[in-house]
Amino acid sequence: MASAIFYILGFTALAATALCITRRNPVHAVVYLVNALFALALMFYQLGAPLVAAWEVIIYAGAVMVLFLFIIMMLELAPASAEMQGPGWRRWGPVLLLSLVILGCTLALLGIQADQDGVPAFWVSPRAFGAALFDQYALAVQVVSFQLLYAAVGAFYVGKGSLRRRTQGEETP
Amino acid sequence: MTWNDLVALFPILILALGSAALLMLGAWWPRGRELMGLGSLVAGLSVLAAIALTPPVTEISGLFGAGPYARFFTALWALVAALTLLLSRRYGAERRFSGGEYTALVLFAAAGMALLSGATSLVGLFLGLEAFTLVLYILIAFHREDDAGAEAGLKYLVMGAVATGFLAFGIALIFTSTGTFHLPEALSGLDPASGMRPVALLGWAMLLLALGFKVSLVPFHLWTPDVYQGAPAPVAGLLATGSKGAVFAALLGLTAGLEVGWDDLVPLLWLLCVLSMLVGTFCALRQDNLKRMLAYSSIVHMGYALMALLAAGPTGRTALVFYLAAYTAMTLGAFGVLTSFSRASGEAQWLGDLRGLGYRHPLRGAALTIFLFSLAGVPPSAGFIGKFAIFIAALDAGFIALAVLGVLASLVSVYYYLRVVVVLFMSAADDVPLHGGSRGEGAAIALCALATLGLGILPAPLLDLIAQLIP
Repeated sequence: MASAIFYILGFTALAATALCITRRNPVHAVVYLVNALFALALMFYQLGAPLVAAWEVIIYAGAVMVLFLFIIMMLELAPASAEMQGPGWRRWGPVLLLSLVILGCTLALLGIQADQDGVPAFWVSPRAFGAALFDQYALAVQVVSFQLLYAAVGAFYVGKGSLRRRTQGEETP
Repeated sequence: MTWNDLVALFPILILALGSAALLMLGAWWPRGRELMGLGSLVAGLSVLAAIALTPPVTEISGLFGAGPYARFFTALWALVAALTLLLSRRYGAERRFSGGEYTALVLFAAAGMALLSGATSLVGLFLGLEAFTLVLYILIAFHREDDAGAEAGLKYLVMGAVATGFLAFGIALIFTSTGTFHLPEALSGLDPASGMRPVALLGWAMLLLALGFKVSLVPFHLWTPDVYQGAPAPVAGLLATGSKGAVFAALLGLTAGLEVGWDDLVPLLWLLCVLSMLVGTFCALRQDNLKRMLAYSSIVHMGYALMALLAAGPTGRTALVFYLAAYTAMTLGAFGVLTSFSRASGEAQWLGDLRGLGYRHPLRGAALTIFLFSLAGVPPSAGFIGKFAIFIAALDAGFIALAVLGVLASLVSVYYYLRVVVVLFMSAADDVPLHGGSRGEGAAIALCALATLGLGILPAPLLDLIAQLIP
């Protein structure tokens, strides 16, 4: 049962990712990516990492994907009119199917009793996770935080320049 | 992390904290030249700290080594960062580079390279590699008015992101096969007895793909010429020397701990080595752009370095580290001369731009000639000794075909290096006014030339040192 759910989730994640990278409409792609992230979150939960699963949903599917949508809206990347041919279900059908599969898997996972097959051998508690992150890998966290600082600096620096150049180009047609 | 860890990390801490401090300082005191000078000073301090301080522990947090091998490379990459900043002062001022950001990024790149060279864990490897690649994406596109730079930065970013994906996947698979990130225990998955061999092999394939991309071995080399051409010349120098050398240093650490699986990797590495030398040589022949020619020549040189890695054993490893040091000196010098030949309007990167410059600027012309001869492997230069050591090691290890191919590739390489020298000295000078070159540039180029010649004439002290510190 548990391994069946695992493989179903794996194929869901694969299908959602494949659909994500083949969509022409960026908003559709983001929705498929959210699907894939949900499937991954459930897989993390199954592997005994509930904290990572929650983050996958809250940070990636929640925050980062919303940012993606904001950027798509800001840059007006999404086509204004629906140019897709064929019946409407082809647009929302796959999303609905994937979402239903993920919902079903969630319910099935909740239904697994503590003594049943499929319960992970160990659960990584937030405390254990924090201890590993900020004790054993404290240096790694420092290095990553430096990287994020410079990523922000770089994005700001390069972005500021291209913005100025673009406005200059618009002023002198 | 303990106090001892911090002490062992001190040279890298100087680089990282110094870069953050200069970034802050740049916000209130936006003077590019002075900030870059201070950056050179910080990097110089780090070199001194790496040489003078003996760390109390040999490994930091189970992620990075702090032994003599890691310290050697920390000193080398900090020195490269110091010279890069010295070279960038006039170049950056003419292009209105923002001094604080530029200095901070170069210093942090050196910190990342130092971390990568001493990585003793797959996590450390990933972190170190990503630290400086991320910085290089930005540095390549740092000249905001230059579209070629933006294009180069984007190319490197997109391809680098794919390579990073492979690296993370490969590390995950290797972790799956053994359950640890720590080297060399993480490498035992290749043992046929462990039962996880297929997973470990797949992980290694992905790891080699990602690292091959970073050092531009042949099937993964396509980004190299475009990125070198588009990047600012001092950044291209950093990219050619530090980023490739650090990956090779890490690769040496990785393979040194590999006992059972080495025979599986040899055919793969052999093929990459042959392809790199062949394709790099043939592509370099027809280049009229000096930066593109140096890009293809760097592919050939990475092929030589891979040959040293393949030769394994103490001789091969000594040859590899010596070659990395020699290659760093001569390539950084060549890009340094290109930087100092650059004008505010653009870089003199086409062969036509260099016509007769050897007479108008004899010192820098002579320096460029030294670097190119050394890259070609003409004695008495560091390049000659390095290649000689590599070919001897390859012959000792039984890679006769590789050694013969390497000798042939260096013979052919004389043609495309000499072409530049011919243009420099044997054609009439155009009447183009060039900057006389600042004192900082002159000092950096002179240091590289001195190292190139010095290591060629008197290689024994460095070879002895390396023989002591290789893992």
